[in-house]
Amino acid sequence: MASDKAKGPELGQTFIAGLWKENPVFRLLLGMCPTLAVTAAVRPALTMGCCVIFVLVCSNIVVSLMRNLLKPHLRILMFTLAIATFVTIADLFLKAFQPDMSEVLGPYVPLIIVNCIIICRAEACASKNGMVVSIIDAVGMGLGFTLTLCVLAGVRELLSTGMILDTKVMPEAFVPWAAMSMPVGAFITLGLMLGLVNIITKEAS
Amino acid sequence: MGKITHFIEQSWLLIVSAFFFGLLIAITNAGLSPRIEQNERDKLFKLMGGLIADANSFEVSLEGVEIPGRKGKVLKTDIYKAVDKAGVNAGFAYVAIGAGFADKIKLVIAVDGKCEKFFGFRVLSSNETPGFGSKIKEEFFSDQFKDAPAGEIKLVKAGDAGKIDTDIVTISGATVSSEAVVKIFNTYTDSIKKQLTAKGLLADGK
Repeated sequence: MASDKAKGPELGQTFIAGLWKENPVFRLLLGMCPTLAVTAAVRPALTMGCCVIFVLVCSNIVVSLMRNLLKPHLRILMFTLAIATFVTIADLFLKAFQPDMSEVLGPYVPLIIVNCIIICRAEACASKNGMVVSIIDAVGMGLGFTLTLCVLAGVRELLSTGMILDTKVMPEAFVPWAAMSMPVGAFITLGLMLGLVNIITKEAS
Repeated sequence: MGKITHFIEQSWLLIVSAFFFGLLIAITNAGLSPRIEQNERDKLFKLMGGLIADANSFEVSLEGVEIPGRKGKVLKTDIYKAVDKAGVNAGFAYVAIGAGFADKIKLVIAVDGKCEKFFGFRVLSSNETPGFGSKIKEEFFSDQFKDAPAGEIKLVKAGDAGKIDTDIVTISGATVSSEAVVKIFNTYTDSIKKQLTAKGLLADGK
């Protein structure tokens, strides 16, 4: 992990870690609930990813700023307080400016509060590092999470509807696989993706 | 005194943060709630307008109407009156809620001005299973309610879905969701009719 006075290359590594080496979904297996629940289509997955990036960046900034004041026994309580605040704000913004998407995502936006990625980054990075490192880490992790969600959602949406983002991709003869839009489709796609990532990692090492 | 000092030392950050974060949420909520409420109203009025073709505007006819629900629970809803361009009663619409397969289903139901037939329903919100329960939004199912007599309706497993009567043909693979919609209709219709009749709001004054 890059220190307080991290230089460019270290910051770069911190950023890239979230995208692949420490990808929250494929490598750390965190945030499984939204990963399975909101990846039936790309649009809600992208919205969820953006919400998580917003909450991650804001909570990491706050935790990083107050890291020297934190009492060990109040640490988790303070993290949760900060996270819950930013999740509520994200939820209100969605309801105000993206009401249809807010309805599609339903309870999964408020559930970001209990998303392990956010509390994990607050504990592992923001509570030990300065603001710059914390922001870079949050953006990297958030982007890694968002990209993963979009890839999963892309596969599921394509196979369940033959379309991606309302654009017809599959040929007319393609018969949509309804199961891919259901929970079973989420588990199968995630399992296959995890297997693929493990094979790639193994071969690379 | 020592205990109080110790308490403040230990928890001042938590107290200050709770106040600060609470304030932040309150400010955001105050700023956005008018827009959120407007979004909800817009959606409701758009759905009601889609159901009652002649409606030019809507006004709240009865507020907080009590509907006896299951297990002694009392549900509350507002009844909106649709007025056409000539200022004549074009029908009534109300929001009805009931348990679905995965979560609560919220419907907008419309009836004619005499409360004799349904204009149909639209789904205001539901979390039914995509591809199965979500089919309650599809025309095959919703069109069966259009012009059906505004009374007790029943769900049948097979039948002519094109025939307009009190029999509603279930959606294959979504029996629970189909049942839920029929139950919601049956829970509300009678009470709504009674309330409108009692207040003399029906189009013919009965």
